[in-house]
Amino acid sequence: MDMSPMIDMVFLLLIFFIVNSNMVIVKMDKRVEVPVAADSLQQEDANGRIVVNVYEDGTLRDANANVEFEDDNALIDYIDKERQKMENFGYPPTLHLRGDRRSVFRHSRRVIRAAATARVDQVRFATYQTNKQYIR
Amino acid sequence: MSRRRVAVEEKEPGLDISSLIDVCFLLLIYFIVTSTIDAEERDVNMALPSSTPSSSDQAPIDSLTIELDGEGIVYIVADGLKEPLDTNPEEKGVPLLTQRLTLYKQAAVAAGDQPVVQMNIDGEVEQQRVLDCLNALAKLGIDRVTFTDLIN
Repeated sequence: MDMSPMIDMVFLLLIFFIVNSNMVIVKMDKRVEVPVAADSLQQEDANGRIVVNVYEDGTLRDANANVEFEDDNALIDYIDKERQKMENFGYPPTLHLRGDRRSVFRHSRRVIRAAATARVDQVRFATYQTNKQYIR
Repeated sequence: MSRRRVAVEEKEPGLDISSLIDVCFLLLIYFIVTSTIDAEERDVNMALPSSTPSSSDQAPIDSLTIELDGEGIVYIVADGLKEPLDTNPEEKGVPLLTQRLTLYKQAAVAAGDQPVVQMNIDGEVEQQRVLDCLNALAKLGIDRVTFTDLIN
């Protein structure tokens, strides 16, 4: 049995997956349903992102969704530490705000104010380009 | 009878590639198992006021103020008057706001200035509605946006 076409197919599939896979640097907690913005921009540089998740009920958590920020001081400390870490690596620090589309804006505003206090003045709102994710 | 055999046939060097094929299958199975089809997240960018340097040698054009109330209704504030624009929070495209922003941007560009927009947002409005407005700004390339309650 001539196996060479099968081996060709295997190589093709392998190359397809290698080429199409992306290294995900910004962690995405699926419990946060980000808003939809049709004219949003593709994420160009994922380095230097300080991720804060804002859940529907107003809870604020870090990128790994492990640490919950109960008050503003904890949030400012976290953003400040991350900012210093990013600056040490040579990346411009940017707040990556993953706010749930159904949460009220005052929670996100808290995060933006904390970022301003911690001297991070670039903000990126995480969005989807279409609402396909929300059509079941 | 000569039993001299023909010169021993030369044995060509061969390469056993079965291990290579095994490794290829392993890699393929790894990628198939670990790949997921997820929508890609994108960015709507904003710079806070401290990062936008003010040019003192240029008289800035009057900024446009957009107000968003708790119900998701979009207002334009001009000359002390608050004019409602998009009153349906379900309408994501905010067409009336987009129209006004287009006119404002054209006027700014004609005056040789950069358009500046201030946003006054009620804390109880949904995040999606805020992003609808920011999206309209991003669509027109207006990146000098500030939130009024962040400026003290």
